Amino acid sequence: MHPAIFVSASVLLGTLFALQEWITVHLWSYHIGLRILFAAWWVQYFLWGVLCWLLWRWCGPWIQRANVLCIFTQVLPLSIVTSVVEEMIWVACFPQLPLNRPHMTYWHRLAFHLDAEFIDNLVVFWCAVALFRGIGYYQKFREKEAAAAQLSVQLAQAQIAALRMQLNPHFLFNTMNSISSLMRTDIAAADTMLEQLGSLLRITLERGEVQFIRLNDEMEFVEMYLAMQERRFTGRVHQQLWVHPELHDALVPAMILQPLIENAYTHGLSRLDSNGLLHIEATREDSRLTLSVLNNGAGLNSSPPKVSDGQGVGLANIKSRLQLHYGDQHTFSIREVATDQVEVTITFPLQFSASPAETLTRFGA
Amino acid sequence: MIRAILADDEVLARQKLRQLLRDEPEIEIVGEGASASETIDLVRATEPDLLFLDIRMPGMDGFDIIGKLSASSDPAAMPRIIFTTAHDSYALRAFEIHAVDYLLKPFTSERLHSAVQRAHEEIYTAKQNAGRNNLWPQNPPAYTTRIVFKSRGRILFLPVSDIRWIGAEENYARICTGAEKHLLRETMSHLEEKLDPQMFLRVHRSAIVNLQYLKEVRTEPSGEFTVVLVDGQKIAMSRSFHARITEWMAGS
Repeated sequence: MHPAIFVSASVLLGTLFALQEWITVHLWSYHIGLRILFAAWWVQYFLWGVLCWLLWRWCGPWIQRANVLCIFTQVLPLSIVTSVVEEMIWVACFPQLPLNRPHMTYWHRLAFHLDAEFIDNLVVFWCAVALFRGIGYYQKFREKEAAAAQLSVQLAQAQIAALRMQLNPHFLFNTMNSISSLMRTDIAAADTMLEQLGSLLRITLERGEVQFIRLNDEMEFVEMYLAMQERRFTGRVHQQLWVHPELHDALVPAMILQPLIENAYTHGLSRLDSNGLLHIEATREDSRLTLSVLNNGAGLNSSPPKVSDGQGVGLANIKSRLQLHYGDQHTFSIREVATDQVEVTITFPLQFSASPAETLTRFGA
Repeated sequence: MIRAILADDEVLARQKLRQLLRDEPEIEIVGEGASASETIDLVRATEPDLLFLDIRMPGMDGFDIIGKLSASSDPAAMPRIIFTTAHDSYALRAFEIHAVDYLLKPFTSERLHSAVQRAHEEIYTAKQNAGRNNLWPQNPPAYTTRIVFKSRGRILFLPVSDIRWIGAEENYARICTGAEKHLLRETMSHLEEKLDPQMFLRVHRSAIVNLQYLKEVRTEPSGEFTVVLVDGQKIAMSRSFHARITEWMAGS
């Protein structure tokens, strides 16, 4: 703490005491110079301000840590010494005090003033000690609170990382299996799929452990994923993708859509031989973002939810990530909007990326 | 015939290129380099038209090889470069040294084919111009001829002549080629500024059209104008821009 804080606080205190004495003096009709009265009080408390600051600087942490024994054997003597030293300096500053007395030596005056003010000085000292210890307790409390908050953030991040880990390998190995299968029948198709997987891995690795990404980037990933699914379900599913132009820069949790789309395929669209419809949409309602995935594969009743299968893991995963990121600010729903049409909708607060997008784009000859 | 050299330190990578290039009748492979020094010697000895170049190779990287070659030979004799690499971080450098294309491994035969097509065009144009003793235009073109960007995990050196039309989406522009659409974070006015007005026309606040792909301008029963492209794509057109396009059509 800055010395000015100590000095100004204690001088203010001295002013209050001086005013009090001035009023008392008036009431009792004594005559005392206003100047000497204020000077005496101000110097007294100025000295205390400086002493307290020195005490804080040199002995602050020690006082905060001191146990009872320490207080009795060390702080108590220090309080007596400090009180006497303060009084000695003050007496040296005001040789004319006490007023209206025959000439007194320095030691006489010191004895006179100590007799009147020693206890007051001790009280001031011990108030300062109490204050220091109070500050110590408060700081400790704040540190603990900050540590607890940080811990909960770290825990949440670890959970999210673990949840994302569940997503990627699942998808990765399924795709590798598809490529392995295609290799035997259609080399060109296997080659294309391998290139697509390479691109997907490249942007996933680039993205790293970032938790929120622009909807634009998420949609790019979705498009790549859809292109790979299209290869598996050639012509059987009509894919529609629509993003409100204002939302390209909106922030969404990374990999929030892919599990929903995978789910639409495995539990709906894969059962159809033709005329499948997959409609993915990002819309805006005031300050909320809505993402929805609709498929016409099969109704809700035809696929009893089983926790053991992929649906359970994928959707539970999305739900816990939304809960961790947004708390009560999100919604998640699965509805049968028409016969055999199932729509998964999630909404959460709309936020935009503050940092400018880094792009590679250059124009050249 | 395009005489080409393959440079990659991995034998399987060279084998893949060799096999895929069998389907490109105009390419003749005149040598394969497994290291930087081998590649430099090969290029000096055979003076190929095209070099398929990996970037990370033992000893020197691909750009060092190009530096060595261009220091010792006349720029007209330098081969065209198609980079084949697993790293996307060199794309801008490759674009700046006028590489033909930048193929990220693993790439497909289609992707290689389009790179070869482009190399073919460039080499053909250069040979034609060489006859007129005018290899490089004296003044760099005033407008962009190609754009580099990342899209869906790939690096594209897209010639602007491949762009059919561009649609605005707030802070983004959707660039539509024959087969694909790419979302770029660019404003329409910036793009309009960069593109040659002889080739591209702004037909609406939110659309720029490549005139090469323009089929007709229709007046809808409602009295509004529509631009129709050769592939049947319809784009709404502002009244204020109508005069510009009819003027252009009358002129051509």
